[in-house]
Formats: sequence, C-alpha cells, structure tokens
Amino acid sequence: MADKPKVAICWLGSCGGCDEAVVDINEAILTVADATEIILWPVALDYKYHHVEAMQDGEIVLSIINGHVRNSEQEEVARLLRKKSQLVLAFGACACFGGTPGMANFRTKEDIFNWVYRDSPTVVNPNDNRPQTKCTVDGKELTLPEFYEQVYALRQIIDVDYYLPGCPPPPDLIVNAVMAVLEGRLPPKGSTLAPNKALCDTCPRNKTKPDKIGIKEFKRIHEVEADPNTCFLAQGILCLGPAIRTGCGEACININIPCRGCFGPVEGVEDSGAKFLSSLASIIEAESDSDLQKVVASLADPAGYAYRFSAPISTLVKKRV
Amino acid sequence: MADGEPRLVCFSCNFGWGYLADRNALASQVKNWIPVVCTGKIDITHVLDAFKAGADGVLILGCPEGECHFQDGNIECKKKVFLLGKLLEDYGIEKDRLRIELSSDPDGSKLPQIVKQMTESIARLGPVKKVEAPSKVA
Repeated sequence: MADKPKVAICWLGSCGGCDEAVVDINEAILTVADATEIILWPVALDYKYHHVEAMQDGEIVLSIINGHVRNSEQEEVARLLRKKSQLVLAFGACACFGGTPGMANFRTKEDIFNWVYRDSPTVVNPNDNRPQTKCTVDGKELTLPEFYEQVYALRQIIDVDYYLPGCPPPPDLIVNAVMAVLEGRLPPKGSTLAPNKALCDTCPRNKTKPDKIGIKEFKRIHEVEADPNTCFLAQGILCLGPAIRTGCGEACININIPCRGCFGPVEGVEDSGAKFLSSLASIIEAESDSDLQKVVASLADPAGYAYRFSAPISTLVKKRV
Repeated sequence: MADGEPRLVCFSCNFGWGYLADRNALASQVKNWIPVVCTGKIDITHVLDAFKAGADGVLILGCPEGECHFQDGNIECKKKVFLLGKLLEDYGIEKDRLRIELSSDPDGSKLPQIVKQMTESIARLGPVKKVEAPSKVA
C-alpha cells in the first residue's frame, strides 16, 4: 500500500458530472484503483482535507481536479492540492476553461446577488438578507466562503500541468491520461491530453459539407428538424466544430446536436470564440448591408454560443496577468 | 482614456489608403495606425486584443466594394465587423466603438480627418465599461 502512487480526485465548482465520468471508465477503474492509492475523493470516499494537510509537499503523485473556482474555499482546496502534488490535471471543461458557470462572468456579482436574493419571482426575502462571510448566531460565529467577483479557470489560480477537456471528458481519454501518468509517458508540461485537430476534421458529416456554405439566416437547433446526416453549418445551424478540439468521439453530433464547444480551443489558439466568429463571418451570405444586418440579427446570443464553455479565458473577460 | 484623450486603433488597407503618402508623416498624425496588407487579414482576435490592450475604439479602413486587390477581403472584413458588433454588446462595449469604412485615400489626405471624427464620437461615449471584475486572486 505504502509504495503505490497516491492520487487525489477533487471537485471545486462542479456539477458532479466529471466525478461520474471517472466511474464511467467501468472496469478500467479497477486497474486504476489497483495501481494507485486514492487519498482524496470527496464525492465517493470519506477522506478529509486535514488528512491532505498532514501530508508532505509533493507526496501526491497526481491530483485530478474538476470544476471552476468562484469562492475562497475552492481556491484554498486548489492551492492545498497544488502544494501537495507533483502533477495537477485540470479535468473537464470547468477546470480547463471555466465551463458553463463561466458565462456568469457576463454579469457582475452584484447583478447575480440582486437576482438570486431579491428580484427573482420565487424569492421572499423582506429583510434583503445576503450571504455574509461571518455572522453570529446564539453567540457562536458561523462562517461561509467568500463569493468572488468572477469565475476562474483552474490555471488562473494555480499552476496546472496537464489539461483534459470535455463536459465531461470521455472514458477513453480519462484512461489514457491516468495510464500516461502511471507509466511515465507524459507529453510536455502544459499539454492537453486530447487530439490536436478541430472537430470538423473527424466529424462524420464533413463529407456532406458543400464547397461553399452561404448562411442567409441562423437557425437554432430547437427551431428546426435538423437532417441527421448533413453538416450543421450547411443547414444554417450554429456548430462550433471549426474552432473546437476533437476527441469527444463526436458524442453530440451522433445524437443530432451541434457542437457546443466543451473541448475548448484547438492547439495554439487561446480564444476559440473569436476564432469561431471569424470563421462564421466568412460563411455569411449577404448582398447588401441591410441583408447583412438581417443575418446578424438572426443570431441570438453570440457570446453565449461562442463562449459557452470558455468565457473566463476569453480575451475580454480573462484576468489580466 | 485615463488622460481624457480616447485611444483609437486604426487598421487600414495598404492598397487603398495612404500608399502615396509620406508614411512617417502620416504615422505622426495618426496614433496607433496599423497598415495591413488587406482588411480581409484582420481577425476578430486582433480587434478583441486591441480592446483588451485598452483601446476605446477600433476603426477599419478598407477598399471600396468591388476594388479589393484580393477579390473580396474588404467584404469579408465587413461581415466580421457586423458580427463582432453584436458580440461586443454582450461584453458591455457599445458597437459604435467599432467601425469600418470602405473607401480609398491613396495620398492619405482624408485619413487623419476620419480618425479625428471617430475619436470625437468615441469621446462622447466615454471610457469603455468592461465586464471585467476586479481580480480577487493573486
């Protein structure tokens, strides 16, 4: 037991889907469990953070961290695991890019609190109570983590060694990532443990893409009956395939849903949303300025589409470093 | 815009704008002037980087319709500008801060005037209200 490599699996701001994905590797988890000693996995096992605090620095071989950082508790846990670990793997879209919770960065903390604690129609809060980091009840002090001004991707908080994107990451890439660490066959630090191509390169619908696409109106997937075999962009439906990394096994495409972008930018690109919009502009077909206005007006919520999983690392939102 | 003067970034196409002018003299009149080989080369990333770096507005000067040296780079750029305008609004940046003008000015006589007009209209908008919250984490 003592000489097995120690592994921690931890969630920060997470829905639990990434932890579920770890279980989804099926019988391969027995191999992983056999080869490693899991010292922390809050969703599944009863180990405490103070057990980790008592460990030597670097004693954990690999920390698999999923979820974004939006409060002081999440930051504290992330920093603790970084200190105690040789390698940190950002696991899933939230840890890699901020994920869907990152879209909250288009609003201020004040806006969010006003809606959640005051303006939402289902809220009854006559005293306008708001969460406080400290309060006293019956002479005892109670504390809550501090809610930050914005959502952060893991790399904006701590040094991250490897990335495994996806919402959640698919089982084959999870097994590959863990085995790569255990067998010591790791790519250079900072690598994403997924293919470097764009989704369009591996999309089964690629061959149905015409030589020239001309979009005259953007349609949303729920507004039309999409043909199950034809390129979504050729049908005027937004699909982030041109700008997003492949490796997901085309899971969405196969159930007739366009790519939403959970694998993040392809290698060498920082802002996949901007790159996507640039490519999208080139396939708009408009004869005049008023035509162009109409096509653009038919595009609902461009920021939400282009940055569904990556708002915290987008050019205009990310923290200046 | 901290010192009161709005910061404008001006991209212009080499084939339509200022190619007969004394470049150095023109550059001294137009701050943050970035001549490019074709406005079709301008990516949305470049414009966002300009705003990120603190620009209060971005002006793109391309060739007249039908006169692009590379067939339709100017039209491609115009489509990006229209699309990006809508994205900027989601970020809380007024779309009037990004403008494209398709015309030509080989001797660079109009260029400083256009830049001045755009600078004035940005001044009326005030500084950019970015959706960038103060950083909590060191």
